[in-house]
Amino acid sequence: MLLQFIINGIIVGSIYSLVSLGFAIVYNTTRIFHIAYAVLYMFCPYMILTFFSNLGIPIFIAFIIAILITVVLSLLMEIIIYRPLAKKNSSLNIIMISSIGIMIIVINTIALFYGNETKILNPDISETFSFGDIIITYIQLAQFVISTIILLIFLAFLKFSKFGIRTRAMRDDDILCSVFGMDIYKMRIILFTLSAIFAAIGGGLVAYDVGMDPYVGMPMLLNAVVALIIGGIGRFEAPIIGGFIIGILQSLSVWAISARWQDAVTFTLLILFLLFRPQGLLGEKKRAV
Amino acid sequence: MINIYIILTTSTNLLVGMTNLLSLGQAALYGIGAYLAVLAMMVLNLSFIPTLIFVIIGTSLLSLLIAYPSLRLRGDYFVLATLGFQLIVFTILYNWVDVTRGPYGIPGIPSPILFGDIVITGIIPYLILSSILAVGVVSLFFKLIYSPFGRALKAVRDDELSAEAIGRNVTALKIWAFVVSSGFIGISGLLYASYVSYIDPTSFNLDEAIFILSAVIIGGTGNIKGPIIGAVFVVILPELLRFVGLPDSVAANLRQIIYGLMIIILMRLRPQGLAGEYALR
Amino acid sequence: MNSDTILIIDSIRKSFVRNIVNIRGKDEDEKFYVLEDIDLILPAGKITALIGGNGTGKTTLFNIISGFFKADEGKIEFKPNGSLIELTNLSAYKRAQLGIGRMFQDNHIFQNMTVLENMLVADENFFGERPFQSIIYYRKNNNVEKERIEKAEKIFIDLFGEDNPFLNMKNEKAKNLSYGQQRLLGLARLLMGNYKLLLLDEPTSGVNPVIIEKIKAIINYFVENKNMTVFLIEHNMKFVLDVADFCHFMSKGIIAVSGTPEDIIGNPDVRKTYLGI
Repeated sequence: MLLQFIINGIIVGSIYSLVSLGFAIVYNTTRIFHIAYAVLYMFCPYMILTFFSNLGIPIFIAFIIAILITVVLSLLMEIIIYRPLAKKNSSLNIIMISSIGIMIIVINTIALFYGNETKILNPDISETFSFGDIIITYIQLAQFVISTIILLIFLAFLKFSKFGIRTRAMRDDDILCSVFGMDIYKMRIILFTLSAIFAAIGGGLVAYDVGMDPYVGMPMLLNAVVALIIGGIGRFEAPIIGGFIIGILQSLSVWAISARWQDAVTFTLLILFLLFRPQGLLGEKKRAV
Repeated sequence: MINIYIILTTSTNLLVGMTNLLSLGQAALYGIGAYLAVLAMMVLNLSFIPTLIFVIIGTSLLSLLIAYPSLRLRGDYFVLATLGFQLIVFTILYNWVDVTRGPYGIPGIPSPILFGDIVITGIIPYLILSSILAVGVVSLFFKLIYSPFGRALKAVRDDELSAEAIGRNVTALKIWAFVVSSGFIGISGLLYASYVSYIDPTSFNLDEAIFILSAVIIGGTGNIKGPIIGAVFVVILPELLRFVGLPDSVAANLRQIIYGLMIIILMRLRPQGLAGEYALR
Repeated sequence: MNSDTILIIDSIRKSFVRNIVNIRGKDEDEKFYVLEDIDLILPAGKITALIGGNGTGKTTLFNIISGFFKADEGKIEFKPNGSLIELTNLSAYKRAQLGIGRMFQDNHIFQNMTVLENMLVADENFFGERPFQSIIYYRKNNNVEKERIEKAEKIFIDLFGEDNPFLNMKNEKAKNLSYGQQRLLGLARLLMGNYKLLLLDEPTSGVNPVIIEKIKAIINYFVENKNMTVFLIEHNMKFVLDVADFCHFMSKGIIAVSGTPEDIIGNPDVRKTYLGI
């Protein structure tokens, strides 16, 4: 039984890692506390719903179209909302509140068109297979495999491109970067595209399993943020590790206590980390201001 | 409802507008106030005035548990910590079924009883009672904001480092601000519980916390009239939409969209809100 | 030395962790000492200047004295009125209450408060700063406030004469003052507190010569009329020569040369490494 919970935890953790990484890509570099990221996660499944269930396009193609539309939404947020604020040199609090504003608008627009109730993408009960005592559904397997592949691709990309070092430079000083001829707005477009892709894939995979309503983004965002804090802000490997830790821990708390308390466990962990190790497991110590 | 929200926003302003602490945990405190009120009225059988005192003191003390750890953090991390507490409190209210009855809620909360035999029932007496409390809270906060205490808070808000350099205990001031603000948020919890006579945890969730914060931000921060305008606005808007004749299902979402738009536009063009004097940083 | 000492800095060391990214994008943490070993004694009632190149740790030393940083090793003792107080474990605001005033390099005044509020908030009397104190002791609070306002206005008149911009603009927000005026307000604010030792971080940076003259006069006023000790970081050597009694030259985390300002200027090492002449 314990092993079953750990396996479940790893599967959930792989999704957390993916979503958390998307959040980290924006947060690590621009310091935007991108709360509206939650709606990207929720938005993609609704697009899949439109193209797959309503228009009858095959699921795989519908998924890709949905990801592209999510990317467009993410870029619209950057261009219409964040970029002007960044140019005005607004404070992080103002940007965060604006982000809350975007989130409220998108959630309610979706609710207006699709309704508040839970929608499902896949009406069938998923088939399962088992190793001994452990039972896994095919969708769970797909979640794990797809997200792991994407994470690996991203890590490889980090290792073999200049992306890592550029984003690091951007985090340190974006004005200096533009002085040195890096186009930070072009860079930000790349960041927002990447993060939207991660959110969209995560959202789509989960929604295919359990369905969605307009409010699923927020809880996922919170788990992603906790994963990021636990892993440590600054490195892209960190949210991945954090995601798996959260996934396994939540699963274990379901096993040991009860499913009802898993949020309490997660957020207690968050507060403990904020207090005693704010730089996270992998994070770097900051020079005091 | 306007009176309840005036108390909520005025108290929240002490944090957001006076001390530059963006708290996403206000709904948790609101909920704590409401549940403490129920405890006092239904279990301890207190009448209104003792209940009021019990709720103020109880909420303030419980808020210390949140204030002390959160206030050691700055900026984003403070917001995150209050968010964390908001969710923890919600989970406790929701899942500790033995005490809070969890998702089933607590029905049949009695009307407030004043001076032993005056029972406040019906809309008009209730309106009078809540107005008295709201006016009381607002005038108290008016005094506080323009007292040396308010001035010291403003100093902390503008420049923590300098505030410390002139010998002010920044952490203590922030904790005071948090605790005082929480105590009065407790009052609105009490009013809410006795007004609707039924409470369940979903009235005090994260959405509510965001809603309270956006009411303050829309109205404006740093003075007295801003939060009041914010509270009036967020309570009146749904009525207006209903008056225009939109069906309820559409109106609920539409009004949220209007709040969202207002927040974004205000942040871009007028970060001090409609009537505030302090632009958020 | 005949004069009394007010501050004893005893072998202070302070390190930071520096994060280095090497060419392969791998990062490493490296510990390096900003302050190698600082020993310093400040004579009471005098003006002492601290000079040195950028990044030699001057501001770090100030932050350690005023309690914003904690030193790795060493101790600091403060002698405001005869008895020696160990500062090492006190937090910044407690040190300020003991009598160490601090002015920062940028104008750290309270931008969104009025000119008068900027003064009142710095008063040495804390009465009314507990949440309900001002309401419960209403009458006493009014009297204290009246005294505070009189004190602030008297400071403005003493420093800047009967007709000055600060009195005229006392109810305007401080951010409406010019940069130089903000600097002067920051200095005037130091008189509201009961300070024995003032740490001034580059008081003359970024202001015009008229204001510099004014600052010079104010610093002399602190020492002569208020019996305060002044410790300042400065890059303007002319200013140092004009006001300072003693001067220390900092280099690579240690006090390299000490003496009168004239000695320092004459020192060949200082001329080469710092002044560039």
